[in-house]
Amino acid sequence: MVDPVFQSDNYVLARKLLDAAVLRQDAIAANVANAETPGYRRVDIAPNFLEQLKASVSDGNLPATAAALRPQIAADPNARTIRPDGNSVEIEHELLAMNRNAVEHEYLTEVITQNIKQLKMAITGRSV
Amino acid sequence: MNLISGIDLSAGALAAQKTRLDIVAQNIANAQTTRTAKGGPYQRQVVSFETEMVRTQGATGGGLQGIRVAQVTTDRSPGQQVYNPQHPDASADGLVTMPNVNLSQEMVDLITASRTYEANLSVVKNARQMAMRTLEIGK
Repeated sequence: MVDPVFQSDNYVLARKLLDAAVLRQDAIAANVANAETPGYRRVDIAPNFLEQLKASVSDGNLPATAAALRPQIAADPNARTIRPDGNSVEIEHELLAMNRNAVEHEYLTEVITQNIKQLKMAITGRSV
Repeated sequence: MNLISGIDLSAGALAAQKTRLDIVAQNIANAQTTRTAKGGPYQRQVVSFETEMVRTQGATGGGLQGIRVAQVTTDRSPGQQVYNPQHPDASADGLVTMPNVNLSQEMVDLITASRTYEANLSVVKNARQMAMRTLEIGK
């Protein structure tokens, strides 16, 4: 009975993107740690994760396919500058990406919280 | 699985930069030391880093690499020789071999290490903030 709320597209999407946001923070931490390592290529969430999510949403079967979709870390194919020593990390870019990721994370936790609060309101009849 | 994402990676980087800072401080402190316990002038020390695979990702093989101090080596290049016959460590020709510490190079290393340390610290702060926000889901 409670399941339909937690199967709605918005909620499932928010959960998946939240997983990705936390994993992206790991990737940024690794990039910043290796900002001076020669030959290091920056990593990020593999782009096919977002593409698969989009495809699932437009096909309309997100709740069914969601369990199989997991974000993965992969080398970023469009990393911009490559310094002479082969390192492709720009520290400003990493810190900006980190800030953007923090705002995304904030937004997604808000979406999940609102979904839960809606359910509580339906149960208690009072807005929480 | 970390409670705060990325903390093991940042911890390695912070420790490595701290070691680098310590070695730079040692070099600067000994920039004028012409006599060490082993005899001869002070030779500057250099920290080298290496990556270590902190977390692997199953079948795909990708993963997250951290950083750690590989070793602290001694720079064997000879220091400058200064003519100063009055110096207690002068050789027979009156030449004193100074340590091979280049202060401007050490200062650049110092600044780089500090900034890298600060950058990693801000990553940790952000990760902790995200973890605290996650704990407030539903409230």
